[in-house]
Amino acid sequence: MRKKTGLLLGAAATIALGALGANAFGQGAAGAFTTAQVNDGRAMYDAACAGCHLPDLSGTNDAPALGGTAFMGAWGKRTTAQLYSKIATTMPLGGGGSLSEKQYTDITAYILERNGARAGTAAFTPATSVVIGSIANGRAPANRPAASTEEPDSGAARAAATAPGGTAAQVSGRQESAPASGTGNAPAGQSLFQRAMSGVRVADPGGFGLPTKFGLLLEGNIQNYVPVTDAMLRNPPDSDWLMYRRNYQGWSYSPLNQINTQNVASLQLKWMWSLPENGTLEITPLIHNGVLFIWGTSNTIQALDAKSGELLWENRLGPAPRRPGPGPSTEETRSMGLWGNNIYVNTPQGYLYALDARSGKEVWKTHITDEKKYPNNGGLVGSSTGGVIIVNGRVLVGMTNCGRKGDDNHCYISAYDARTGKRDWKFTTVALKGEKGGDTWGGLPDNERKGGETWIAGTYDPDSNTTYWGTAQAKPWRRDLRGSKDGATDWANSTIALDADTGKLKWAYNHAPGESLDLDEVFERVVVTHGDQKSILTIGKPGILWKLDARTGKFLAAKQTVFQNVYENFNEKTGAVVYRKDIHNQKVDQWLSSCPGPQGGHDWQATSYHQPSDTLIIPLSQSCVFMLGNGSQTYFEMPGTNGNNGRLSAYRTSDLKPLWSFQQRSPFLTGVVSTAGNVAFVGDFDRVFRAVDVRNGKTLWKSRLGTTVQGYPVSFSVDGKQYIAVTTGLGGGSPQNKPATLLREVHRPANGYNLFVFGLPD
Amino acid sequence: MVSKHFVPALFAALVFTAPALGADYQTNLGPMPLDDETKAVIAGRGDATASYDGKTFVVKGDFRGMPSNAISAHVFDSPVAGMPGNKLFDLEVTKSTSGTISGSFTLTSAQARALRTGKLYIQINSEKAPAEYPWGPKGTLWGWLFPAHETVGANIPQQDHWFLPQLDIPSR
Repeated sequence: MRKKTGLLLGAAATIALGALGANAFGQGAAGAFTTAQVNDGRAMYDAACAGCHLPDLSGTNDAPALGGTAFMGAWGKRTTAQLYSKIATTMPLGGGGSLSEKQYTDITAYILERNGARAGTAAFTPATSVVIGSIANGRAPANRPAASTEEPDSGAARAAATAPGGTAAQVSGRQESAPASGTGNAPAGQSLFQRAMSGVRVADPGGFGLPTKFGLLLEGNIQNYVPVTDAMLRNPPDSDWLMYRRNYQGWSYSPLNQINTQNVASLQLKWMWSLPENGTLEITPLIHNGVLFIWGTSNTIQALDAKSGELLWENRLGPAPRRPGPGPSTEETRSMGLWGNNIYVNTPQGYLYALDARSGKEVWKTHITDEKKYPNNGGLVGSSTGGVIIVNGRVLVGMTNCGRKGDDNHCYISAYDARTGKRDWKFTTVALKGEKGGDTWGGLPDNERKGGETWIAGTYDPDSNTTYWGTAQAKPWRRDLRGSKDGATDWANSTIALDADTGKLKWAYNHAPGESLDLDEVFERVVVTHGDQKSILTIGKPGILWKLDARTGKFLAAKQTVFQNVYENFNEKTGAVVYRKDIHNQKVDQWLSSCPGPQGGHDWQATSYHQPSDTLIIPLSQSCVFMLGNGSQTYFEMPGTNGNNGRLSAYRTSDLKPLWSFQQRSPFLTGVVSTAGNVAFVGDFDRVFRAVDVRNGKTLWKSRLGTTVQGYPVSFSVDGKQYIAVTTGLGGGSPQNKPATLLREVHRPANGYNLFVFGLPD
Repeated sequence: MVSKHFVPALFAALVFTAPALGADYQTNLGPMPLDDETKAVIAGRGDATASYDGKTFVVKGDFRGMPSNAISAHVFDSPVAGMPGNKLFDLEVTKSTSGTISGSFTLTSAQARALRTGKLYIQINSEKAPAEYPWGPKGTLWGWLFPAHETVGANIPQQDHWFLPQLDIPSR
């Protein structure tokens, strides 16, 4: 896009900032750091960075690649000082500035070494400024350096990192740079890093303790538990919330109407329960017959009395989050499932458990890839963050962390016998050679076809015995790095319809052929019926509301819901997309504008279908990014939104007519639940949980909670009384990261993972 | 950008009321692309309006809360909203962290078309904004001049259709 300008700026930076001179460390020459720094850096990288950026620096999701072509494309023309500054001010995620200068220099040295730069006798310092492309080439040396045996001294590092006069933490662990109108007047000649470090800042979100005790911590003995049957799942009792979106069709609609537009203003807190801190919380509470089941971090499964909040049992499956504080987007699960006497839990580590819902005891446990390992201690293949859906006695679960370019792993949806845990079928979500759609990867061999993750649980239509799933984008994100040329990369960014008993493909529809900007189309597939027409409604990150024929996958209609500039042409009559020319012709070192960015549009914060009024209520976000080939991003407000990052919009599903919409500064970090009382509930980044009138969007009630309201609110009843439950929590990817950076006026504590239950006065 | 929607866009344009100043175009100025490292120097807020009577293009606005003094302001022409483009005009700007911007220009037919199709934007640069990004230099605040349309406060619902640039701005 501005390659010439970028080159000129890069050259200017070299001349202006080359403290050691651009020619001091040419490629193949020794010297920008020492071997000792690399060894210490490896240990620190493994401890603080590898969880997101991976041990091989290949990056994942919101963590850009730190090695190889992608890294060199992003950083080759920039200097080592700029790389250091970026790492030191922004990393670890949520804890920028929390490590010591030594730790940051060591990590930087390690990253440079892993990209082919050679060690020498001169130590790397924050002032070392060499154009990275002059010393590195993106090719890692064959042998990984020996890790230092010295423990990373994070405690001392935190103390050392606190600036003199620095005040106590008040934001969710992220470094607070100088206020815009405050003391940001750093002396001339200071680096950006030094400017960012001056003024009020937070070095430490506070001391967090990670749990060390695991297992069945409190065994339960729930009496008169009513087994959940297939019939119940097809037609859930009004009082219950048995699965992710309450019903198979994905509505998130409760038929309870005791709480309604006339009395919701008197809603009050009935009880709350503190959940385990640390990690990422985006969960759906489940309720059956007066028992509430909830997942907390460290894979802590708890059963509570839904009326009183009393703990009935607790099984902490583990492991604990990788590090204290809010976690990344890879460490959560979004729902569990109930069937028979069991509760089924998929963990982000890829395990699937059946626990006895009456006692919390483990019934069986399996792993979605049978604990297949990556080579070189790279961990297990297969994670699962989307939750489960249970159909005809089978537990269906999606998959992420599905392999690296060149290996033989692929993403798949798999089904397990709910009684035994035995895998029954699996469906691979990328089309391989010889399969339908197999000719859409630009001729790539099968072992280079990656992506198509399923990180939101599917839905189901009992009439046709079909389960519907959305898939994520092809990997790497960028088509220039992926090598798929103009290929559509089926079935990434697609709706997939499978036979629920066999996993056989019925049909698939690719919403974003060859997509390149982390604009997943992976979210909930809502099944809606109008007369004889059964449709699938879904909306992805680009903010396009899609309507497909549920039986055939035929495109029916679409509606753009937020500003988008990714598609130069989007045909709302045919669904055809034409990418912007610069996106089509992308280069790895080129910044691409993307509106929406990876926050969306729409993200995991699910819609609610209010069936009586045929209204789909959609939480939307409004932010944009500039993105480089390795995934590095800068963020900005969506044009035309007056800085309003959040939007809640309602559409009539029969004809996709827009009904109402309102905007606010903070995005919504929960799904929506609507009720037969014509009320919809949603929570946001700035701690507000509100009730709106389904018919016009007017706010009828709200409450300010302890931290970001995040998760999936639900409604249930016990002994004839209706309740609304929602969680607060932190962690996650773009939906947390973008507003945490853009909405500098919003302050949240770095803790406060809680479950709140509201009801009408007695 | 999406010509198929010109008729509904025209309808929407008739429905939307102009702001009190009677300007033809409006924008809210927000921070240019930033991250946790650069948000220390890329911040602030502003508003601007513009009018065009077929001959003269007049821009005026204000800004506040920038971390460092403004050094220049310009009107740019972009390929599409959200993408940086080429500088067209220099604006008068208060060399302070808060102040005003203004300017009056004659547009070519191509520039007038860019204005009409939502491709012109205002950018204010400041002393401390980083220069090393291709969309700079020193870019701090920006905003696209869209046809005047109704805006409401936070959490106030708008009923039926609401302004979306790609649907409500002419594509040619």
